[in-house]
Amino acid sequence: MTKAERRELQERQRAAKAAKVATGPQISGAGLSVKSPQATTPAPSNPKKSSKGNESPLQTKGFLTTGASGPSSKSTKESKASAAAEEADGRSRGLRIFSHFALQKPVGHVAKGDVHPAIVHLGLMFAEFKISGANARCIATLSVFKRVIQDYTTPPNNTLSRHLMTHLSVQISHLVSARPMSVTMGNAIRQLKLEISGSDIDLPEQDAKDALYGKIDNYIRDRIIIADQVIQETAMKKIHDGDVVLTYARSSVVQKVLLEAWAGGTRFSVIVVDSRPMLEGKRLLSAFTAASIPCSYLLLPALGSVISEVSIVLVGAHSIHSNGAVFSRAGTALVAMMAKQHSVPVVVCCETYKFSEGVRLDSFTKNELAPSGDPFSSFPLNRSPTSLIIQNQPNLEILNPLYDLTPPTSITAVVTEAGVIPPDSISSIPLALGRLI
Amino acid sequence: MDFEESSTKLVSHEFLAVVLAGFGNELVPLTNDHGDEPCPKALLPVANRPMIDFPLTWLEQSGITEVLLICPTTHRSSISHHIHSDTSSSSYPSLHVDVQTYEESPDEPIGTCAVLKHFSSRIQRDFVVLPCDFVPPEGLSLTSILNKYRIESNLDGAIVTSCWLLKVHGPDRGAIPGEWGSTGSCVPIIWDKKSGTLLHIDTPDDRDRNSNELEIRMSLLSRYPVASLSSQYTDSHVYVCKRSILDILHQKSTFDSFREEFLPWLCKIQYQKTKQEKYGRVLRPIQANATHALALRHSTLFSGPLLPQDPSSRGSSSPSFKPVLLRIGIVVHDTGFAGRVNNIATLLEVNRQFLTRANYTLPTDPENRALIDAKSQISSDSMIGSSTKIGERATIKRSVIGRHCVIGKMARVVGSVLLDHCVILDGAKLEGCILGRNTRVGAKAELVRSLTQAGYEVDAGATIRNEKLEVSDWTAGPQGTDSDGVSQEDEGL
Repeated sequence: MTKAERRELQERQRAAKAAKVATGPQISGAGLSVKSPQATTPAPSNPKKSSKGNESPLQTKGFLTTGASGPSSKSTKESKASAAAEEADGRSRGLRIFSHFALQKPVGHVAKGDVHPAIVHLGLMFAEFKISGANARCIATLSVFKRVIQDYTTPPNNTLSRHLMTHLSVQISHLVSARPMSVTMGNAIRQLKLEISGSDIDLPEQDAKDALYGKIDNYIRDRIIIADQVIQETAMKKIHDGDVVLTYARSSVVQKVLLEAWAGGTRFSVIVVDSRPMLEGKRLLSAFTAASIPCSYLLLPALGSVISEVSIVLVGAHSIHSNGAVFSRAGTALVAMMAKQHSVPVVVCCETYKFSEGVRLDSFTKNELAPSGDPFSSFPLNRSPTSLIIQNQPNLEILNPLYDLTPPTSITAVVTEAGVIPPDSISSIPLALGRLI
Repeated sequence: MDFEESSTKLVSHEFLAVVLAGFGNELVPLTNDHGDEPCPKALLPVANRPMIDFPLTWLEQSGITEVLLICPTTHRSSISHHIHSDTSSSSYPSLHVDVQTYEESPDEPIGTCAVLKHFSSRIQRDFVVLPCDFVPPEGLSLTSILNKYRIESNLDGAIVTSCWLLKVHGPDRGAIPGEWGSTGSCVPIIWDKKSGTLLHIDTPDDRDRNSNELEIRMSLLSRYPVASLSSQYTDSHVYVCKRSILDILHQKSTFDSFREEFLPWLCKIQYQKTKQEKYGRVLRPIQANATHALALRHSTLFSGPLLPQDPSSRGSSSPSFKPVLLRIGIVVHDTGFAGRVNNIATLLEVNRQFLTRANYTLPTDPENRALIDAKSQISSDSMIGSSTKIGERATIKRSVIGRHCVIGKMARVVGSVLLDHCVILDGAKLEGCILGRNTRVGAKAELVRSLTQAGYEVDAGATIRNEKLEVSDWTAGPQGTDSDGVSQEDEGL
């Protein structure tokens, strides 16, 4: 039997088993007793196991699995297995593919361990997408860590440099459980941990903490704020009078670049491309129209009709990888590919701290789901916001990945604070700047 | 060996819960003293659990650990015995309850504001106000209300988050006599659904001033053009507040009731400029926003602060006045039954709701089982406490019977609530009654829709309908007293 056929058989058997009321233990062909635990993590259908399925939440008799427990859900090849949301009566089957995009446990759980209230607040804001965007999340995380360090006192018989790390790790794991960490947050935290471990053991506690505040402030200032200013100046030179600039969704850097260019006297027009469900472009549009920049607004499917008039495409990034691939809001890859086809230069504005050492070849292995619907829409006013949201129905599952990967072939240039570079030479930047990260 | 092993608390708690236990003036005579011992409203059982268990378990599920319980001085010992006893500490083990007393007498009830002002030195962080008689609905968890407060207080300056419940219409009118009160009074409120902001509460003063019309300000409408008005919601009296509320309370010393005076006044600050100028600085709503201002500017989904765009005030606003950003949040809960058990009708209603979910089966342990006679008929929608003795051929339907009760032979108890230690002698008939603790009903007595105080004794053969029976009436003469609703002497004598 091929794998697909075997999987079909397992599905049928699982459905049959779920249909009848299960009371006794399942004895598999090998004579092993199988306990079916409350399946809360996606358990892939392991072809090596016996043909009986391994989830039926009704069975709770206490027979132990003897070593036959399936591997956890992180295997990439099995990522197309059925999701754990399959109920015993087969009512809603959950996502069949990309089930690993969703968070494993729902937010709203009570914080475990010694989590600072400000971290709880921040986790909530991340989970509700009140603070979103790579730069915003990193700045918010670092600011809250300043509060945490402020309220921290070293317990007796301990040193700040060692114990503070464990304390921060608890906070970080709470944040990660609210929403997976972004590359920017990861880089910033790694730098912070480096600073903490390097702090002098003989310093009095308040001095050590003050030094840390200074380092955090410097990081935000140097790697984000001033980097953005340098990128603004560099990218401004690429925009000339009479240009039509196209941008996608909302990037804080691109917003700054265009506002600065307009304030500098260049007269151009902007096309804002947006996509559901997040509709972030609307906010960018309101920022531009407040500055009186002539704008057009359209949704992603309509891109083909305007691309021939565009002179330059400016996009932001969530992170950029060492093979030159840009990980950004879902839809950027489409915009970049389209622009390349029509020989329009694609310029990615990205600070150096967004650089990630790994090589990323696709956006399937690690991604997130966008928040359902458009809770921020207020038009039309006569219908309640909930009716505008498409929701999961018995025969319909909504899947909205948040990020996608733009291959380096579609990108013309990357503007960083170290200059304008081709996408593949990202990895040479830190070395050129004399830094470790 | 380390003798100085001290556990330093690295993280301070986020919220302090303030649970207010009052006298329960509307639950008289159930809350009258039993002899010398007080019957606190907080310990009055609902479905055989003391009333105060409900908010405390609700608090524990949401992760709040510090509780400040405020009760009258006379009730302090009984409440603190209950809280610190074994049975209760097992049901909410992680709560740390601090019982504090406040001098008040049942004749002049003190409002929440006065109590909060008195204890404001003990409240040093954001707090949650809960009444002791709140029975939370099943779908609503305190965590969801707290989360809404947490998000909004960081984002756009919410200072209070309140919770309003949809009033479910009670059963048929005849079941509860009118003088027992109605299940929850509804006030008209105006709120904005999209952002969850409470805009206006109709106070009794407003109703006195103008009972035909609802007056609202234009500034409210210009800030929130899409608002909803409803009069079907009741206030749950659960408020999550910022600490700076207490500073304002000190300034406004005339306010007594939080629910009726202070909260409607706070709603007005959201859109009235003069009040904002006076109190904006005291409230300091977005002190935490400084940490997130920079992050929010970079955030992709943030559309800038919602400042009032009031066209009428453009000419008159002083240049130094910056509009203050503050909000009163509201959580509206539509499903499930919940309520505040602060009058008789609600007590009966809440017990009924619990009974609809109850499924009575005979107790399994042998000594309890032996007490219940085999020939008694107990319907499945009733609740019977432990160690209750039920006699032969007794009939129990749709009732809640407390612990250690004695129900005699051939007794009939229908739709009633009996508290602990009641004694019903043979042949008595009870219908729709609420009997206080230690009540003794004589043989062949008949009580219909009556209430008794704790320790009351009904004589044998008496017939009583629609009365509230108090112990003090025994000392009255055979003519009875002239105040309404109070009993007359039983007719048997």
